[in-house]
Amino acid sequence: MAKSNRLLKDVLWILALWGLVAGGFRLWFGLGATTNLTDAVPWGLWKILNMIAGVALSTSGFTVGFLVYVLRRKRFLPLMRMAILVAFLGYGCSCLALLFDIGLPHRFWHPFVMWNEHSFLFEVFWCVILYFTVTTIEVVPTILERTRAERIGKFLHGIAFGVVVFGISLSSLHHSSLGSLFLVTPERLHELWYSELLPVFFILSAMGGGMMVLVLLRILVARWYDPEPIFGATPAPVEGAESTVPGFPTLNRNVRGAGREMPMLANLATISAFILGGYFVLKVVDLVRTGAWQFLAGHGWPGPLYAVELLGGVLLPVVLVACRPVRRSPLGLGVAAFCAAAGLALNRLNVGIFGYWPGAETTYVPSLAEWSVGLGVIAAAGLAFLVVVENFAILERKNQPVGAGVFRAAFDAFSHVYRNALNSGLHRVSLIAVIMLPLAWVAMHPSYRDVTGGGRPVQPSQGVDVARAVLRIDGDRTGLSVDFNHADHQRRLGGDQACVTCHHLAVPGDKTTPCSRCHRDMVDPTGIFDHRHHLTAVAAKAGGHGALAGNGTCTECHQEGAARSAVLVKDCRSCHEKDGWPALAGADPTVDLAVATSFQTAMHAVCVECHKNEAVRVAKPGLGDCGACHADLRRREDSLFAVVAPSRD
Amino acid sequence: MSHGETRNHGQDHAILVDVTRCTGCETCVAACVAANGKDPRQAERDRATVADGLSADRLSSIVRVGDGRFARKSCMHCLEPSCVSACLVGGLTKTDDGPVVYDPAKCIGCRYCMLACPFHVPRYEWDEAMPLMAKCEMCVDKLHDGQQPACVAACPHQALVHGTRDELLAEAQRRVESDGKYLPHVWGAEEFGGTSVLYVSDVDLATLDWPADTAGPIPHLTDPLIEKTPFMGITVASSLLGLNWVIRRRMKLEREPETGDESRTEGENDG
Repeated sequence: MAKSNRLLKDVLWILALWGLVAGGFRLWFGLGATTNLTDAVPWGLWKILNMIAGVALSTSGFTVGFLVYVLRRKRFLPLMRMAILVAFLGYGCSCLALLFDIGLPHRFWHPFVMWNEHSFLFEVFWCVILYFTVTTIEVVPTILERTRAERIGKFLHGIAFGVVVFGISLSSLHHSSLGSLFLVTPERLHELWYSELLPVFFILSAMGGGMMVLVLLRILVARWYDPEPIFGATPAPVEGAESTVPGFPTLNRNVRGAGREMPMLANLATISAFILGGYFVLKVVDLVRTGAWQFLAGHGWPGPLYAVELLGGVLLPVVLVACRPVRRSPLGLGVAAFCAAAGLALNRLNVGIFGYWPGAETTYVPSLAEWSVGLGVIAAAGLAFLVVVENFAILERKNQPVGAGVFRAAFDAFSHVYRNALNSGLHRVSLIAVIMLPLAWVAMHPSYRDVTGGGRPVQPSQGVDVARAVLRIDGDRTGLSVDFNHADHQRRLGGDQACVTCHHLAVPGDKTTPCSRCHRDMVDPTGIFDHRHHLTAVAAKAGGHGALAGNGTCTECHQEGAARSAVLVKDCRSCHEKDGWPALAGADPTVDLAVATSFQTAMHAVCVECHKNEAVRVAKPGLGDCGACHADLRRREDSLFAVVAPSRD
Repeated sequence: MSHGETRNHGQDHAILVDVTRCTGCETCVAACVAANGKDPRQAERDRATVADGLSADRLSSIVRVGDGRFARKSCMHCLEPSCVSACLVGGLTKTDDGPVVYDPAKCIGCRYCMLACPFHVPRYEWDEAMPLMAKCEMCVDKLHDGQQPACVAACPHQALVHGTRDELLAEAQRRVESDGKYLPHVWGAEEFGGTSVLYVSDVDLATLDWPADTAGPIPHLTDPLIEKTPFMGITVASSLLGLNWVIRRRMKLEREPETGDESRTEGENDG
């Protein structure tokens, strides 16, 4: 039996270990470096998937507890322990993910002592923590059965009823409060999902969907470990029949009927279907009442998402469960339960993530690290679930596999070690870890995010106000900028004909390229020479043709017989003189024209020269000083970076 | 402070933003960056990369609200702030004289305030390993020293005016009525229950997330519900106990003729 879910376990281990690395990165490097959360989208996958959807999916502890303990429906007793285990792991999973999500995890205890009873998040915190404690108390007796601490177990059994009632009260509060969390965002959450009835929707869908999760898990566990109670008696070999495959007897599949727990599961699913049906009706009524139905056909994905969630995730399972043959077959019921569980999860993602997309300017897609932690925590809970199911009396079972997967070291032969590595649990996991951990490290290290788009591009000069033609020149992006009144300078220098006085028009026909396009950096020289462009342009001029026409014209610029470098090359001005470079005419001929001077040098050369001449001409000595342009050098104590209130024309 | 009480906010510190006077020179932002001890270089980077120019290093910004029209954006210091009611540890407070202030020592980093604020004002220190929230506190220390907020003191065109809320409401009303260029509306007088930062303008200010209609205070959406929580809890618990008692009694009565075995503990779940 254990072999059938080996692949599942491997996947869970991979996800959990991968998530472990991502979680480490998150704690070490911080939220900004590892997540795609922004000021526009402050809540992401961890809060919505792990906390809000996770808590909703593990509602079964409270609903089945209600059926068994309060309504005394003893037929559901066989599910009780599993329901509690699901609740315990679901809530544990939420709490764990939240520790990664909150900015200051070491302050998780603050809400215990710092109260704001007006906050729904405060209420949710308390209810979730208390309910987690309740499920812990409920789950401990199952664990203690295997130990000698029977007395504690008995004590906990004794107080179980009180604990269950307390837990149900807490649950009924916080499941609705999770919906109330979103009541504060009427302006941002999409109309299809925002409603004053959010708390009611949340608790109804959680109750219905949570039971379906339990049904689904019960069927899956039966499939993995002990099919008999759900799928019926194991088919027996047909007496005397010819075996078609040697070694595998032909099985009589006809005797296989539904197992003894199936009617109970179908009953639970029916209860859930009633709740979900009521939820569906209420949702539709609310849609009509608020008039939000008109957004269903609106352009974009909110309409389709809403339809999938409500039709596929609520109506479909209700219809499936309503069909008697479907409800009675493990496969049919499993499909219905899966639809309901997925619909519930989709609803929470819609409310918490997708419903905020239209309002936010950015589209939030969780980062790899977010997916890794989010799914890793769920995978860890899944592994814990399997461990408990395999080793403790969660289900009514006759023969429990004990001691499966005990690791024994073997050094005799490679094949033996290899086989053991793939067969025994611990060894297999360590093998997965050895492969996964470095891979995860390399794939998710935050330093790659800067390379792959997290870095900030070099910005051209920022226009302060185009209407006044004042340019903020901040070539090195230090924040220390010069506000340059372009219109005023242009007027002084002679209007439209004066462009070439300052701009050397690197690209033919260009009149607006900002200086910083080529002279990008304060310190590093930047290339401005476009070799490819010259290759074709020169070739065209020289009448070259063919695929590699330019190759015949190298000597037009490069010296014959010399290295074809940027240094031993013809002076640009020998061709470009007519383009009009007054600033360069008569300048130092040794200037390296293949490399743009730094922005600072370029700007200083252009501005300072002229300013100094003007200072003499109009007899204003201050005009040539640094402070003439750099306001921060003039009055550093007032303003750390230069913002000159521009003169108004 | 409690949300139920309706304090008179007339004497609160307030700021009036006159969009017709703002030239977008950003002197107020520079003053804000300096007054809050933020890194001007980082602030300048955020100016270029963030849509509305607000960040944890730039608590106020100039937003283009129309053709050649600018408005200062920062915390509106709502009279009934959504963030204050949302913060689960009470890290945000509406002080008795107006400013909404933040206690970094309490913050756990849940970012619910960011979700709750209708103006998208709170910003987060995403680049920090131990990040905090950041928002304008109206230079509350300067106010207590009898000074103006840094932005108001820095504004060269008197586009920002500091005063009590009553004074500024009257002044805003006077400007709107006396000069035909203004739109006949004082933003912040009523929206979300009123704010301590008021705007008058000759262009519409929807870009600043002002609601189209006069939306009520956001805490009023949750307070009536959350006040009922303890009663709901008690009601649920007692009705559960009652229901259980009734059902057990009926089961006992049904079973009594056959067997008197009712001594089992409730929680016993024998397989």
